[in-house]
Amino acid sequence: MISEKSFASYLVAPSIIVLLLTTTFPILYLIWSSFQNINLAMPWMDGFAGLKNYSDMFQDKQFWKSFKLTIIYTLSTVSLQLIIGLGLALMVLRIPKAQWMFRLMAILPIVLAPVVVGLFWRTLMLAPDFGIVDFFTKTIGVGSFAWLSEPKLAVISVIAIHTWQWTPFAFLVLLASLASLPTDLYEAAKIDKASAIKRFFYITLPLIRPAIVIIVIIRSMIALSAYAAIYAATRGGPGTATEILNLFAYRTSFLEVNFGYGSTLAVFILFITITVAAILYSIRKKRI
Amino acid sequence: MSFIKFNKKNYRNFIITFVATFILLIWILPLIWSVFVSLKSEIEVLAYPPNIFFEPVLDNFKAAIFGSLSIISELIDSFIIATITTTLTLILSIPAAYSLARLNLFGKKKIGFYVLATQMIPPMGLVIPYYLILGKFGWLDTYHGMIIVYMTFSLPFAIWLMVSFMEDIPREMEEAAFLDKASRIKTLLYIIIPQVKGGIAVTTIFTFMNSWNEFLFAVQLSGNKVRPVTIAMYNFVSVEQTLWAKLCAAALIAMVPVIIIGLIGNNHIVKGLTLGAVKGGGRK
Amino acid sequence: MKKIINRKRRKFLKQSMLTGLAISSFPSILTFSSDALAAAYGANINWRQAEGSEITVGLIPAGYFKNLEAIKSTFEDLTGVKLNIEMTPPGEIRNKAMLDFSKKTGIWATNATDPMFYYLYEANGWVDRLDEYLENPKLTDKKWFDYNDIQAGWRGTTSVKGIPYGIPFDGEATCQIYRKDLYAKAGIKPAETLDEYLSNAQKIHDPNNRLWGAAVRGMKGAGQNMYIYPSILAGYGGKWFNSSGKMTVDTPEANAALDYYVKLQKTVAPSGVSNWNWPDLADAFGQGTLGSYIDANSTASVINDSTKSTVVGKIGYARWPKGPSGKRVCSIWNWSFPINAALNKKDKIATWLFIQWATSKETQAATSYAFSGAYKRVGVNRNSIWKNNEFQSLMSNMGDNFVDTSIKSYNEDTDADWRPRTAQWPAVGGEMATAIQAALVGEKSIKDALKDAQAKIDKIMMG
Repeated sequence: MISEKSFASYLVAPSIIVLLLTTTFPILYLIWSSFQNINLAMPWMDGFAGLKNYSDMFQDKQFWKSFKLTIIYTLSTVSLQLIIGLGLALMVLRIPKAQWMFRLMAILPIVLAPVVVGLFWRTLMLAPDFGIVDFFTKTIGVGSFAWLSEPKLAVISVIAIHTWQWTPFAFLVLLASLASLPTDLYEAAKIDKASAIKRFFYITLPLIRPAIVIIVIIRSMIALSAYAAIYAATRGGPGTATEILNLFAYRTSFLEVNFGYGSTLAVFILFITITVAAILYSIRKKRI
Repeated sequence: MSFIKFNKKNYRNFIITFVATFILLIWILPLIWSVFVSLKSEIEVLAYPPNIFFEPVLDNFKAAIFGSLSIISELIDSFIIATITTTLTLILSIPAAYSLARLNLFGKKKIGFYVLATQMIPPMGLVIPYYLILGKFGWLDTYHGMIIVYMTFSLPFAIWLMVSFMEDIPREMEEAAFLDKASRIKTLLYIIIPQVKGGIAVTTIFTFMNSWNEFLFAVQLSGNKVRPVTIAMYNFVSVEQTLWAKLCAAALIAMVPVIIIGLIGNNHIVKGLTLGAVKGGGRK
Repeated sequence: MKKIINRKRRKFLKQSMLTGLAISSFPSILTFSSDALAAAYGANINWRQAEGSEITVGLIPAGYFKNLEAIKSTFEDLTGVKLNIEMTPPGEIRNKAMLDFSKKTGIWATNATDPMFYYLYEANGWVDRLDEYLENPKLTDKKWFDYNDIQAGWRGTTSVKGIPYGIPFDGEATCQIYRKDLYAKAGIKPAETLDEYLSNAQKIHDPNNRLWGAAVRGMKGAGQNMYIYPSILAGYGGKWFNSSGKMTVDTPEANAALDYYVKLQKTVAPSGVSNWNWPDLADAFGQGTLGSYIDANSTASVINDSTKSTVVGKIGYARWPKGPSGKRVCSIWNWSFPINAALNKKDKIATWLFIQWATSKETQAATSYAFSGAYKRVGVNRNSIWKNNEFQSLMSNMGDNFVDTSIKSYNEDTDADWRPRTAQWPAVGGEMATAIQAALVGEKSIKDALKDAQAKIDKIMMG
């Protein structure tokens, strides 16, 4: 039979070709744009800008504010998704009979269109004096909160909305992963009288590490690029309190039609995403 | 002795089931509320305190399916695009994932990272380049145009999901197959793939969903002849007002195809799990 | 199946449309021939000179455009031009239009255009001068089309340096909208001044019974809170450009105006108002939880919709309150149609025929009081129609003083420079919107918000 190396190459080649064809030009275009002055509102200024966009960016207060917010947002939502998803998966694992129902219910938040999610949370759930969450908080006596109008609360709200929508992903992937783990390792551990917690940390966790890392990478990417739900819920407001880098780049590129600078922001997002992924990628391979 | 043990286990399972169900119910509360809203008349939707008891009407669903605001043709468009995208993605990604996960591929690490990195370009940075490319070929507002664009982010995503599932299978699988004189292809098709059926189902669902719910490219790169369902939602969000009840009805209808795919996939997940259990996870 | 439904629907609507035409005192029409239609339209031009073309028009989902879409087969039968209408989400249509314009892909022959963007479009050469079309007797029957019948203020906004680049189709003006029953009970009249407006609201403000006195747009956006603030600024005598032509936004008048805005919203509006856009205002008013609001007169159709609103018959309208400077300036807004400069000649003619048809007296009537569906357009573009008896009687159903308030607002309270008309409007409008909301939610003080906005705008205007 053919060598493993050749076989492996044939299997992977079509995908690589497709990706090369479809992503090379866009990346190059984006990088090129970031070195240009492209502002539709001032076409007379168009031309090569060199590093000016980048130096502007690093001096832009709004950029740093947005960057900090993005880090907080991404770390919070990915951690929450992982913890809640893992917890739920571990619980549901023990009830094989009802699993299908949980899986079905879990899919529902993800299937709902992001735009509808944002609008829904904005008007029907979180609106003070009009929304359901407000109704509950009043009923249980803690009063009313301006969930989306108060800067700090707004950040919590959008983290909650994003986590709400995407934890099921972590849940489903971890569930599938956990379910396929070989059971004999557990038998051996039980015979050795290892406690449940020890079993979890020393056997389960290392084995599902690849799944966890992938979830973290993918969810981080989505968190960094998610825009539809936040936009529908707050438009990056109040003020700029919930304007993560991604929204800021969108506003610059499309609403303020400053494509050059917007591309610079986009390249920056790309850069940190790749860096984060590279770090995670290198630790995924360490096996016990 | 065994009697008491039995009760203990049952009791614990019961608690776990209860807690899990409670959490999940809260989780889908907004969706339950959507169902309520879709059955109300518009005037009641914004009533406060919110009504739980009311007379349900089917007008909103009728409006979303029949009549001038119908979303049926958009559903069909989205279905075509999502199905073809998912199928092509699976065909390409499963072998690629196998190669990256379990074979001795030349430049494995670099290729693996490249695949991952292609997904990281912020979508809004891609709108203009894609608009230019598709425009040049005359592929704007076409099915194949949208499919190509969606493949770009489905493919890396699917590859990496499948890689993690592929890595769960014990290493000895291939060796056992080769002892039986199976070719490489046969090993992949008949030994490996059945083992990751559950993973394939999960990947299918999410790939399908990514295409289904996509909005940014859908609106900029198509919209007239090819009109995905995410744009159709705006039939009910006009400049003047949002028709909440009809919007919820439409959103719920739009979720149906994905749920169906999810249910079908679910079967395979279950089959995959029982297979794994029978084989004892690969060991004798 | 879609085609069959469409055909059936078109046939029905075509009949309604022609019936509508008949009602609006044109000779009754028994055939559907193109000649008959041409006769009904009465223009002395060859409507079929672009026969065989196909054009796509980008519109947003809105009642006034949906009515136009409903009768589009009339246009197709009249001219032999195939018309595709693409309903695009309102948040995306500008991006899509600009993408199309800037890359010269010529996908949209025309689209529903925001008047504040004409300076930008003209600077980039994306749209054609329309005076050449208006003055060409082969393309336009000047007497029949009667360009000057269109609202003067609106025509001003779609022109750059006096040259028209778009023709207004549908427009609106902001005004006070109030619950006349609540006002009567409290013994108050609609406010003449801004201070009176606030005190009126305080008199009926009753949050414990879920009634808030007043509210205006709080959501940030160049077309959102920056649609109300400029009127307040004008009321305080503020201007956008100083005497040397520099854009200044942190003047004393601006501070006073923003102060009033924040005071109003914080005192008598619901606490979530910083996220509210006009549909939220109209919904709250319709549900009876808002005593009054200042926004577009076109929201009248929403609050008079008995399937959604509980306050039909209790509505009154009044002009914008005057500010301390004695001025009152309402919004000036319309959706208009330009011609995409990237099209070929025949398609441009087809597009012009469409624009002429859509903005003509006949079509405006047919989509408004003569329309067979439930929604009748309020924001027609022609003075002559506003004077039409049938239109007036229909509009007076919207509430007390609707017609009078609208006409006076259009004719006396508009100012084309009520918002800064410049090619950099998108960025400038966005910065101001952010500043206003930041002040409203307390993220910054009023002074700081305006100062920061000024700094950013200086950079933007410098280029």
